[in-house]
Amino acid sequence: MALTLTVDGDRWRQHLRAVAEATPGLVPVCKGNGYGFGLGRLARRAGWLRDQGFDVDTIAVGTYEELPEVAQRYSGDLLVLTPWRPFGAALELPAELSGRVVHTVSREQDLVDLLGRQPGARFVLEHLTSMLRHGMTGRQLRTAADHLAGARAGRLEGIALHLPLAQGSHLGEVHRLLNDVVAAGLAPTTIWVSHLTPEELATLRASYADFRIRPRIGTDLWLGDRGALRVTATVLDVHEVDRGDVFGYRGRTAPKAGHLLVVSGGTAHGIGLESPTGDSSLKARAATLARGGLDAVGFVRSPFTIDGKQRLFAEPPHMQASMLFLPHGPRVPQVGEEVEVRVRYTATGFDRVLVS
Amino acid sequence: MTASDLTVRTLTPAEHLDFVRRQASVSFLQTPAWAKAKPEWRAESLGWVRGGEVVGAALVLYRQLPKVKRYLAYLPEGPVIDWDTDDLAGWLAPMAAHLKQQGAFGVRMGPPVITRRWSAAQVKEGIADPEVHRLDQVAPLERSEAGARVVAQLQELGWRPQAVDGGFAAGQPQHNFWIPLAGRTEDDVLKGMNQQWRRNIKKATKVGVEVSAGTDADLKAFHDLYVHTAERDGFTPRPLAYFQAMYDALAAEEPDRIRVWFARHEGDLVASTIAIRVGTHAWYSYGASSTEKRDVRGSNAVQWAMIRDALAAGADVYDLRGITDTLDSDDPHVGLIQFKVGTGGEAVEYAGEWDLPLNGLLYKAFDTYMRRR
Repeated sequence: MALTLTVDGDRWRQHLRAVAEATPGLVPVCKGNGYGFGLGRLARRAGWLRDQGFDVDTIAVGTYEELPEVAQRYSGDLLVLTPWRPFGAALELPAELSGRVVHTVSREQDLVDLLGRQPGARFVLEHLTSMLRHGMTGRQLRTAADHLAGARAGRLEGIALHLPLAQGSHLGEVHRLLNDVVAAGLAPTTIWVSHLTPEELATLRASYADFRIRPRIGTDLWLGDRGALRVTATVLDVHEVDRGDVFGYRGRTAPKAGHLLVVSGGTAHGIGLESPTGDSSLKARAATLARGGLDAVGFVRSPFTIDGKQRLFAEPPHMQASMLFLPHGPRVPQVGEEVEVRVRYTATGFDRVLVS
Repeated sequence: MTASDLTVRTLTPAEHLDFVRRQASVSFLQTPAWAKAKPEWRAESLGWVRGGEVVGAALVLYRQLPKVKRYLAYLPEGPVIDWDTDDLAGWLAPMAAHLKQQGAFGVRMGPPVITRRWSAAQVKEGIADPEVHRLDQVAPLERSEAGARVVAQLQELGWRPQAVDGGFAAGQPQHNFWIPLAGRTEDDVLKGMNQQWRRNIKKATKVGVEVSAGTDADLKAFHDLYVHTAERDGFTPRPLAYFQAMYDALAAEEPDRIRVWFARHEGDLVASTIAIRVGTHAWYSYGASSTEKRDVRGSNAVQWAMIRDALAAGADVYDLRGITDTLDSDDPHVGLIQFKVGTGGEAVEYAGEWDLPLNGLLYKAFDTYMRRR
């Protein structure tokens, strides 16, 4: 009766080991919905990698609010990706975590504030990339470094770069950013970096062998081997309908004879909700529009697959279940049968995660 | 210290030379004499003045754009200003304004600032490692904070790095090989060389190679051997008149600024070089060698004599000039690097050459023209 993520445990763990093996200094990212697995499970899994002998001594969370979920389940250091600000959850950090948490600092004033509140704070300085989200410019980094040289407080754990998703090579930008790090008098140091290809990382490690490079990896680690993951819903009910039969919340009519299927998985799980895929082509935008305009244009494709074919929504998904329309012809699944579902893991909440 | 009170004006050659003499060292390409070595280009001595005192200087060579009376203002290995400043804009903005007034559509300069250094051992390991193809793939011995700060500021100020892609670019080499001399004796320097270099120097002495310095009257002998070398090694030689002009101009500025060296074996000229020195910086500038009698090691002997001469003159650096950044053992340039690396010392990387467009349209036209050449 649930939306279930079934994980081929051996295959998944083998993939995790392979990534850790190929990525020295790996920082597993455990944030948001835990990539579908849940934060707690990822934290434990990161600890397991560490127990296997990989140098996974730090994991990254997205926000201060996520810290309690992982802190009990992983004993290493905890990097918070959202920059520290002098308000909100950052100020409510439990005292027992203060030695393990590595803050991200992206403004000089925040550096002053943080060190004023917690003189021994561990932190990384975030350097502004072409993303223009958070971070200090090269000149601000130099000023911050001057401040640090005078302050003799805190523990600088390195420089954080948050690169945009790959569009061509990042290396030109990374070289420019690292030049700023040298210019600030902070080299050699640890560079915490995301979204570099293995080839780019190898090039960087060669040119900057005097730096420590720590790749933050989420998707490619946890979801890198999709073949190990299977998402299924359960068929909860089946009704035969004739053309013109009225059904559903909105009293729609069946366009032709067939079956209505009620399956588990609805808006509460993230089913039928769009999250942007990054594909900005006209076709992709049209598809998004079409899904939004379900009622106006008739039935649209659902993420549920029966016998290898994606089936149509009979009406917009409900909170915990969805109605599908199956025309006459194909095999009609039985109540209790499992059907496959295609989801975006970072936007889906599963009822059950079964790791074999 | 603020740079906003700086003004830029033309200097007389005498004022320029006076400034150069007050520096520990500047590139020989930034001496007023170098203008006379490049008579085909209009030249200007430029000065940064604060409170009546000259605090910076540059030799500007104006390269004319074909058919238009507009110029690329070129400052090879210059200007000579306070590169440690955090306010480069204060120095460079008045320079750009002045050069624009002089008809420049763009500026090209080569900040004499070091960004990275590698030891001879590191370069040697890089050549031996089949995974390593370029100097950049080897972590350096040292990264210069000051050099990085210059690069960062130039990026901020809209200057564009002139990419050097393999081999020697049209401009000045970004990577050079140096033997540090400061605080070292002849013995120290000799010990820093690899065994082959030491053996070759010893052998040259044993078989009776004699090294001597000549005068401008001997330039013809250098040039004959240089043309011979060019034919053998397949590069285009410069005419004798070029060396004559360069020698006369530099020698007139300081008596020992330029020297021509000869290594002879039983009366046969086996190697000849030109050395230049400005203050504490000595350069090996041009070299030539015979095809016959290579086994008497004239090239090693003449280099050793130049190094000793530089030491005696109180130089801090013996500069073997450019190397390519290739560490590929299959690359034809690697032999030259190996020759230089054998002297010990270190590979140094400069900030490279940078352009500032002053007239977007003309600069673009020039850039396109240079790319297609």
